[in-house]
Amino acid sequence: MLDAYIQSYNQAVFETDKPAALEVVNQALSDGLSPEDIVFKLVIPAVELMMALIEKDPDANLAQHFMTAQIAADVTEKMLEKFSKPPEMIGRVVIGAAYGDLHSLGKRIVSGCLKSLMVDVVDLGTNVSAEKFVDTAVTENAQVIAVSAMMVHTATSEKGSLGVRTLLQQRGLQQQIKLAVGGAPYRFDPELYVKVGADAWAPDGVTAAKVIVDLIREVKP
Amino acid sequence: MTPLEILSSATTGSPAPRIPVFCNMPDHGARELGMPAKQYFSKGEYVADGQLRMLRRYGYDNIWSLHYVGKEAELLGCREILFADDGVPNVADFVIKNLDDIAKLEIPADITQHPAWQPIADSLRILRSEIGATHPICAYATASTTLPAILMGMDKWMELFLLGPFDVRDELLRKCSDFSQQEIAALRALGASVLIYSTPFGSPYFVSRKQIEQIVMPWMRRDLLPGGSENLIYYCGMAPFNDVIDLIFDELHITNHYISPLADIAEAKRLINTRGLTCGAIDDIKMIHWSAEQTRAEVKRIVEIGKTGSHFLFGNGVMPLAVPEANIQAMVDAAFEYGRLA
Repeated sequence: MLDAYIQSYNQAVFETDKPAALEVVNQALSDGLSPEDIVFKLVIPAVELMMALIEKDPDANLAQHFMTAQIAADVTEKMLEKFSKPPEMIGRVVIGAAYGDLHSLGKRIVSGCLKSLMVDVVDLGTNVSAEKFVDTAVTENAQVIAVSAMMVHTATSEKGSLGVRTLLQQRGLQQQIKLAVGGAPYRFDPELYVKVGADAWAPDGVTAAKVIVDLIREVKP
Repeated sequence: MTPLEILSSATTGSPAPRIPVFCNMPDHGARELGMPAKQYFSKGEYVADGQLRMLRRYGYDNIWSLHYVGKEAELLGCREILFADDGVPNVADFVIKNLDDIAKLEIPADITQHPAWQPIADSLRILRSEIGATHPICAYATASTTLPAILMGMDKWMELFLLGPFDVRDELLRKCSDFSQQEIAALRALGASVLIYSTPFGSPYFVSRKQIEQIVMPWMRRDLLPGGSENLIYYCGMAPFNDVIDLIFDELHITNHYISPLADIAEAKRLINTRGLTCGAIDDIKMIHWSAEQTRAEVKRIVEIGKTGSHFLFGNGVMPLAVPEANIQAMVDAAFEYGRLA
């Protein structure tokens, strides 16, 4: 039964059909699944299946990534209100667009997926300085800083990921806080993440959520 | 033969000594003139001067009139551009901040009378007068289905595009299409001989083929209705679009295609064949860290795939400012060398 829900839900997401995805969720609720079941047995496995599908089929389009995140985040938010007790969170990430970068689509996709995977997300918005990333990660006890950059100069600038890496080094935080990056320039040069001092990167927003969860687990087993 | 004649030969498949070699460096002109980006883009004379100097220095075939993509947003009311001396200007003030703003959005009756248009007009007039008889002059126009991304932000546009309200989405698209029609006509009137039609939402990397066919295609057809598709290059912002090349031929009659470095260039050449021009682009982000030898090797690979049977042009993406000058020169030299035709 659950497999059928997951399959129908993902088919709707793949077709970027939000009403159909929500219908599957409502059907599952009326068939007796609890809000916890919806999140842990339907939404999370569906997002994980989507991650696996995207890994096998990198041609999945941006609209599908966007809807995967939006629907999962919306459903999770609604279900969380109905949970009998607050769920245990996996960890916390501070996310934002690099200094000088005003693009927000990528981080919105990543944030949506992370929320559905029970990761606390502190979204700093766009045009974020390296200092703000690191200061916030420290005050919020985050395990990961995620820096999105859609332009080459914001990806490679000393005020972006490289600046975050420098501050983490200077403050002796490299073991406690990991650095993930993403955005168009990294798709064109998959080695770029190393050159900007990051621990990991992902070619798309949905995969980025998986990469960030893996980094959180490195820091917080 | 002049570069313009070489391009014409590549398009028609008639004999030529070599393939055309295009180089796209809209942001480099400021550095060439030793001035901040904001100052450089403030006058058409500066842009024309910067582009002409780079053309003389590197010796490629085309010249760019594009200032920056956000210029289109300025023509529609954007009041702030975030300039950077090490990269591309960003739109910092979205014209559409909420959906109610769509009803208020007004397309100027004549965009050529808008103050933001004057630097474009000035640069094009100079370029046409200086080298218009010998060199292709490139201009850039964003498709109606992509223009909203710079008016409201990509995530808000993706949301409206996919989830509606669809009557509001279509109202915005109609206005954007009215703008595209005007812009294309105005650029042609000023002497742009190659028009880059930028349409990322026309790539299956952005939306599904079904969405392209059902939603994007009718608006692209409308954009191009008044002036037709002559001298237009289909460009998806460096996103791959091999899967819709046939569709673009059938529905839009655009025969020139700018292929992403992430796409299979051999497949694209097979699909386009002698029906039009395959533009093979190098991954110039990798050029930041490549050596000159690595750059040459990649140019050789691309050109050898593409040049057989002619109907091929070599080009690049947006050439980041961090790419060493030696690599730019190596790219251009290698394209000339390997692009020789028997």
